[in-house]
Amino acid sequence: MVIRELELAGLPQASDPPIGPLSALLRRLTWPFRRGRAPQPHPATGFYTDTTVCIGCKACEVACKQWNQLAADGLNWSGNSYDNTAELSATSWRHVKFIEQFAANGRPTYPDHADSGAPSREVTLDQLLSGGGADRWLMMSDVCKHCVAAPCQHACPTGAIIYNEFANVYIQRDICNGCSYCIAACPFGVITRSDFDGHSHKCTLCYDRQRDGLVPACAKACPTASIQFGPVDELRDRARKRIEELHARGVPEAYLYGDEPGETYSELHSFYLLIDRPAIYGLPEAPFNPWLHLIGDYMRTIVSGLATVAAILAVLFLQGS
Amino acid sequence: MRGDVQMRTMESSYSTKEVTKVPGWHGLVAWDLLFNNLTTGLFLFAAVGELALPGLLAPVAKAAYPVALVFLLTDLMLLVLDLGDPLRFHHMLRVFKPSSPMSLGTWSLTAYSLPLTLIVAIEAAQALNLLPAGSIVLEWVRKLAVVVGFLPAFGSLAYKGVLFSTSSQPGWKDARWLGGFVANSALMLGCAEMLAMSVLSGHSKAAASLRTVLMLLLLLNIIPAGLLFAEFHNTLSRLYRERQVYLALVLPFVGGTLIPLILLLVGDSAPGILGAVSLILLGSLAIRSLIIKIPHASREK
Repeated sequence: MVIRELELAGLPQASDPPIGPLSALLRRLTWPFRRGRAPQPHPATGFYTDTTVCIGCKACEVACKQWNQLAADGLNWSGNSYDNTAELSATSWRHVKFIEQFAANGRPTYPDHADSGAPSREVTLDQLLSGGGADRWLMMSDVCKHCVAAPCQHACPTGAIIYNEFANVYIQRDICNGCSYCIAACPFGVITRSDFDGHSHKCTLCYDRQRDGLVPACAKACPTASIQFGPVDELRDRARKRIEELHARGVPEAYLYGDEPGETYSELHSFYLLIDRPAIYGLPEAPFNPWLHLIGDYMRTIVSGLATVAAILAVLFLQGS
Repeated sequence: MRGDVQMRTMESSYSTKEVTKVPGWHGLVAWDLLFNNLTTGLFLFAAVGELALPGLLAPVAKAAYPVALVFLLTDLMLLVLDLGDPLRFHHMLRVFKPSSPMSLGTWSLTAYSLPLTLIVAIEAAQALNLLPAGSIVLEWVRKLAVVVGFLPAFGSLAYKGVLFSTSSQPGWKDARWLGGFVANSALMLGCAEMLAMSVLSGHSKAAASLRTVLMLLLLLNIIPAGLLFAEFHNTLSRLYRERQVYLALVLPFVGGTLIPLILLLVGDSAPGILGAVSLILLGSLAIRSLIIKIPHASREK
């Protein structure tokens, strides 16, 4: 059953006193301009996602949909292994990615078979315990990155996208007017405009749960602690220890993505432990904040415009004289 | 780890997909971009012309402002219709964020609409004999409105290209000269509109002068257009076949610049000039549609 909570919100509430059409119009016009009192800031919170322990159970997706009452997207054939969510959307704020890394010729790359060239896909317990060879499944639960300097927040012309008291990037759904500039600005392809209400939607980092002192639904549901929630500083320490542990255990390719600011992008409050290139997981190799070009682009525009005006004036005056 | 080298050569299907999502900006936005340029270009050109050479261009400029207002209203309507929730358009005015080109643009368009409306209202009231036609005070108020409108009109023009170039969308994000191209192109469109109005209203001296200016602006526009398409080239080459890229660049150039330039050079007949202006408009729409389409094409690819 598809739950359409937005339809419910549109229905008249029994507690609302009846108002005339003029009052309703006036209220509609003026209430977006009202400001509430800003809440006291809290330590920045976020997610640390350890992809090495993700088992692709999609409990996070289900928990997210259930808690946030997000409509189902249908079970579509994406062609990506067990991935039938395909991408983050206005109604899927969590998306588990499945990356199958198997030999292109269909042969398993377990050493015994690889050496003999036998086209068998049988795997023995000994092989599995000895490391499993080269073939592997990578899984990653993707979500909004809650960037410290978020291009979407920078772009939003209505002030709908804010940093809340937990330093999370939050879309005020009653303010967003669906201009889509945040979608154009996001380098991670997170935000999506809903066809249903025309507004932009994404992970809220369970703002409502956090305010009540609860852990976000996805982190709560994750059975392997792949998704960890907490104060970002603590998460970073935890993640760095995990990296050291993995390196010591013979996984030298493990690294953190987004835990520190780069030359062209801020750190992420939702960062990842990865063991392959970011692009393999559908993440940008080197995210770029488009606002770094803002002043230069304006300068070129102004210079170009003024040069054209000067040229117009020059020709007009030459002709006039 | 065993087999590491072999694994690194394997790409996932996520890696071949565009990471960014495309905003639902389609044909409506191409028209919005055109009408934005038509209104701001016309106003700026009329204002510059009227203030610099009032004897020659003021009569045409007076006719230009109502047209600019009609184009502005059309543009605003397109902007509203393009929103996911058009009834929330006024939410744009909740905050003033100069760091957001869309916010700056909204405020610039709002600020630009006020003096433009005042100018048109004064002209309309004078035409309807509601206000004295020869009033010096009114003329000064009108001129003040023209001067005051200059900055927000320029802001309304400048934000548009920067709005696209400061995004993460394929093609647009590399377009450092998009704003420069739009600014130059809008003034060229303004000149073309003024020329068409001069021809239609029989101001032959103004038309002769504007014809020369338009030829110069057509030539000047090749510089930012060339720089822009050099920046787009890699993206376009990735998306389209070489022949398609060639056609996408050559057709608007030949149809929207070269042929109009020849028509303007050949003679000053009204059909020739109006034909040139029409081709410039069509070429401008084609280029804007191509620019808007790039992220969509990239996503489909």
